[in-house]
Amino acid sequence: MDTAFKGEHLLPGHLGQFFTILAFGSALFAAISYYFATTNPLDTSWKRLGRLGAYINTIAVIGIGVCLYYIILNHLFEYYYAWEHSSRALPTHYIISSFWDGQEGSFWLWTFWQAVLGNILIWKAKSWENPVMAVVSLSQAILATMLIGVDIFGQRIGTSPFILLREAIDLKANAPAFAANPALYHNYLTYIKDGNGMNPLLQNYWMVIHPPTLFLGFASMIVPFAYAIAGLWQKRYKEWIKPAIPYSLFAMMILGTGIIMGAFWAYDSLSFGGFWAWDPVENASIIPWLILVGAVHVMIVYKNTSHSYITATILVLMSFVLVLYASFLTRSGVLGDTSVHAFTDAGMFWHLVADVVIFLVLAVVMLAIRWKELPRTTKDEETYSREFWMFVGSVFLGLSCFHLVVVSSIPVWNLMFGTKLAPPSDPVKHYNIVQASFAVVVTLLTGFTQFLKYKKTDGAKFFISTLVYLLVAGLITLPIVYFTGANKLKFVFILIMVGAIYSILANGKVLIDAFKGKLKLAGSAVAHIGFGLIMVGALISAGTSKVISENTTGEQFSDDFAKSKNNPRENIILYKNKPVVMGKYTVTYIGDSVAPPNHYFKVNYRVIDANGKVTEEFLLKPNAQANAKMGLIASPDTKHYLFSDLYTHVNMSNAIEIGEGGEAAGHDEADEDKKYEAPLTYEVAVGDTIRFREGYATLTSIGRVDHLQDIALTGKDVAIGARIHIVANSKTYDAEPIYMIRNSNAFDFARKVEDAGLKLRFTKVLPQKGKVEITLYQQPESAKKWIVMRAIQFPDINFLWAGTIIMVIGILLSIFRRNKELKTT
Amino acid sequence: MKKSSIFGLVVIAIAIAVIISVYSNSSTYGSFKDAQNTSNELHIVGHLNKQKQLFYDATRDANYFSFYMKDNKGEECKVVFTGSKPQDFERSEQIVLTGQMRGNEFHASKILMKCPSKYTQDKVEITEAKAKQASI
Repeated sequence: MDTAFKGEHLLPGHLGQFFTILAFGSALFAAISYYFATTNPLDTSWKRLGRLGAYINTIAVIGIGVCLYYIILNHLFEYYYAWEHSSRALPTHYIISSFWDGQEGSFWLWTFWQAVLGNILIWKAKSWENPVMAVVSLSQAILATMLIGVDIFGQRIGTSPFILLREAIDLKANAPAFAANPALYHNYLTYIKDGNGMNPLLQNYWMVIHPPTLFLGFASMIVPFAYAIAGLWQKRYKEWIKPAIPYSLFAMMILGTGIIMGAFWAYDSLSFGGFWAWDPVENASIIPWLILVGAVHVMIVYKNTSHSYITATILVLMSFVLVLYASFLTRSGVLGDTSVHAFTDAGMFWHLVADVVIFLVLAVVMLAIRWKELPRTTKDEETYSREFWMFVGSVFLGLSCFHLVVVSSIPVWNLMFGTKLAPPSDPVKHYNIVQASFAVVVTLLTGFTQFLKYKKTDGAKFFISTLVYLLVAGLITLPIVYFTGANKLKFVFILIMVGAIYSILANGKVLIDAFKGKLKLAGSAVAHIGFGLIMVGALISAGTSKVISENTTGEQFSDDFAKSKNNPRENIILYKNKPVVMGKYTVTYIGDSVAPPNHYFKVNYRVIDANGKVTEEFLLKPNAQANAKMGLIASPDTKHYLFSDLYTHVNMSNAIEIGEGGEAAGHDEADEDKKYEAPLTYEVAVGDTIRFREGYATLTSIGRVDHLQDIALTGKDVAIGARIHIVANSKTYDAEPIYMIRNSNAFDFARKVEDAGLKLRFTKVLPQKGKVEITLYQQPESAKKWIVMRAIQFPDINFLWAGTIIMVIGILLSIFRRNKELKTT
Repeated sequence: MKKSSIFGLVVIAIAIAVIISVYSNSSTYGSFKDAQNTSNELHIVGHLNKQKQLFYDATRDANYFSFYMKDNKGEECKVVFTGSKPQDFERSEQIVLTGQMRGNEFHASKILMKCPSKYTQDKVEITEAKAKQASI
């Protein structure tokens, strides 16, 4: 069978397929061994077997990766994955990222990181190794099933990345020639010259680092979950939280970074026109993160006060189940109608459901069995205690997450209850307002909780410091809101601003104290300041972003249409070399620079002061790829200032076809002239000026020409040229149309000035008048090169990015601190 | 009453409020006929009528794009979108519109299209293969 096709390399596929089976088998083996190692703690041989399983699993997972890389790097298009996601033209770094372009590759990333974490746990977890690794190995085994791709009882389990092209696609149906001619089909590979390649939108350096970061974040969520299960299982209720805190912080840091990377990617090089659009896929990544942040805070509460044990456990368990739920949402195809970038269903719907259900049931059952024994405190928390308000804050994070789940899951509810609900018609507004309400509470809590102590605080003192800081925050907010224009926003957004500034101030105080000696408190303070800055940046940039390319001039399509302003007219047409004023900028499309496959539109921005002097000038080069498969793929270019960004994005252009179609210049005169308006003739003498729409042309001199590039001149020919100086759109050009007499026949050679959209002919010599006749062809506006662009100003977005970095540093400090605590006790 | 019980009640109240707000904010999927009978924005799923003209002329108005769409019940309606023509619109297989009727036109504020873009479509290109056959 296998030899029936010429040129196929089946070895890497077979090897890879073997590794997927091995990965599944070894993970299952490890899970079972660790299970018995946990139940028979005295028999260490189980533990050895478990480790063996985990090591083999790691090798198998790496083996899958190596095989798949080999296939992609060597362009073995007989494999469906390579054919679908890569192509010969892709540069190496994108070939690397085409690896996780598809579902299978991203599952591999996940299982790879989980394997790495498993090895770290074997190394570090000590007495926790057996139960924790039992859970991790179970998850590893289930992930492996996603990649197996074998048929069991007529049902395909998972999708293997090693499926052959001819297995995945019915080649005979696609190409009738193959069906008719077996010999041709035998040689089918010679006809598969290239793969599909990667979506140009994904050909971006963020594609190289964003998915690995995100999946490391998702994968590391298993660790706290496994500790929580282990704690319940082993009845070591109180002990698991301490070692789980650093892992939770790590997951929180990495997943948070991954999410913001995605936001930055969307902002910087995709044309979404913003950094966050509340797309269900984006929500799916932030849902588990929010719960995890809540969980981390309650875990710290428990560690310090022995309160809120049950909440901590439930939140940790939920965070991982929500990771799986998020993966179900994005991968099952259920979001089809509501999201722009969800994966389409690869026939794994029920498989993904099962994944969620298995871990949900595991969590619920473990909780139910141990429910009565769980540590509780009979005493209520003090109202003036840090633990109480941290608990409240975590619950609010949970509520915010609950809202995201409810809305993002609308297609799921429809499926379950047969309803026909659609997402809110203005989802961004809906999410913004509801989430903002939670954010107000959360930011205020991250502020005033800093003035509370664990266990009990002096009420009067607390109130004074809280109120003083709140007042100061309010006073700082006023000018900020006023000067950024955020005062026009809904009240709740201004409240967030107060909350975020309050949080920055309160945590700033903690940070100052930390430098005075209580250094271990620095981590949380820095992280909270970062969070506050994220809120400030997000609020100002999203709230006061301004479309400066508003179309206020130009032809209106119809009055009716112009009146019904359902959304701002954000796109504007720019003709080449014709400046348009947008806000404070004078914007000109000055040309193109082409470096295949990219086509850069050069857009010049100038700020001109009252005296007509140019005070600032810069060039933005939004890019477009004329992709044969997808049409025009545009990516924006952004001018970054310290306190605002200017984003420019080209939607459409006629330059890209004209520029690359190759003009058959001059050959088809009649056709050529259609590109111009009806010609106008002028009788001019040297020094005379002809006016046209965009400027003027002056005849500077007339003289005999000795060389003509098109035609060899002989001694009998008379050729004269009219030297014309042209000024169009404040640029100057020179042209010299030629008039020639050969054998008493008159010819003329036109000269074109593409930039100015002109064609000039020297059509007659009028010796009696001492003049010549010049015929001027002008391109109509529409035949000239144009771009349709959109420009948006995002103020203060740098706070958002800076806040993220600061938050990551803060969490990192916390990880060091919690790790140290582990060692000292 | 314990403080935690009171807090629990508050949380439940907020959760219910969230559900109600989502429910009241949520839109519905409908047809063009439904759109004619309501002034609310709604979502319409359908497909592009590729026979009829897509109108977008940036030189006249860069923010006007119109086309004809058939909803899932087979009814056809002219759709007007304020904005530039989405890339690859002609190839769309399914369109989800958000918007409302204005007279006989449906004014869409959002277009979400599902493209069987070649990057997900399982079609082997054999144009090259055919050209090659001659040389065998």
